[in-house]
Amino acid sequence: MGLKKIFAIGFGVFMVAGLVAGPFAVAESNERGENHESHHSDRNGSSNGVPDNALYKQECVSCHFLYLPGLLPERSWERLMNSTDKHFGENLALDASAVSEIKVFLKANSSEKTGTEWGRKITKSAGASTPERITGIEWIKKEHRKITPEIFNRASIGSFSNCGACHQGGAKGDFEEDSVRIPKE
Amino acid sequence: MVKRFLGGAALAAIVVLGAPLAVHAGSLNPDMLLLISTFQKGAGVKAFSAEDGKKLFNSKRTHSQKNEERSCTTCHTADPSKQGKTVVGKVIEPISPAVTKERFTNPKKVEKWFKRNCEWVLERECTSKEKGDFITYMMSL
Repeated sequence: MGLKKIFAIGFGVFMVAGLVAGPFAVAESNERGENHESHHSDRNGSSNGVPDNALYKQECVSCHFLYLPGLLPERSWERLMNSTDKHFGENLALDASAVSEIKVFLKANSSEKTGTEWGRKITKSAGASTPERITGIEWIKKEHRKITPEIFNRASIGSFSNCGACHQGGAKGDFEEDSVRIPKE
Repeated sequence: MVKRFLGGAALAAIVVLGAPLAVHAGSLNPDMLLLISTFQKGAGVKAFSAEDGKKLFNSKRTHSQKNEERSCTTCHTADPSKQGKTVVGKVIEPISPAVTKERFTNPKKVEKWFKRNCEWVLERECTSKEKGDFITYMMSL
């Protein structure tokens, strides 16, 4: 048997296997399936205000800083998650079960529940309002009053919404002034 | 014995041939081939055009409400092999599957991003023809 023929057989088997496995692979590798293992244990809040949910991360971090749920009050998350088809002008194309899981996670870990100083200040500053933008909260605005538009527009920052560009420990709930490093460009 | 040898040879051939086939940027995996075939049925065509996909990628359009110019390249830049940036400044890994290997490997993800981004740029969902052309262009890089 020539080498070519062996390769041809192998290739044929591979293609058939691919065709047979195809539809099943689609079902098994769907995004929901990948997250079931982790989200149950991660759903509850933690003392530093950094709860974790794999689905939230997967769906939201592609476009923006992974805002900690404690950065907005519960009713804000309720409102945002009820309008994911009009999310600041974008349709997030999330299916109902994803919306539901992410909403439960965000509401369960909102500013009222973080147990952090920044969480308490956000809750207090929002008062009875329902802010949709973290950057629209008065206390957040006051804390950033010295940051000029020129700084926010720097290439490595991009906008006021890109928390992690300067708050190096922001993803871990560290918003202390001492931990801030503002990129020069 | 001969049978066993053939089985072994076939397996070896799968490993040798199958691995590069699965990861090479120029070829789609079986899941994605199924998606392409649904696009072919939807568009009523036998093959897609990388050239039309490139045109779509670079086409610019003014958003009816926001009155700003939008394009795939707004976020992905005109060079698919380069990192892009979202409107709020988050880095996007290159869209080219030749650079970012996991691009265009998961049909569910691909469909979700078409829905999100076609609505953002075109204010409508993309057609089967547009989606097929787009993927064909990206896979040609």
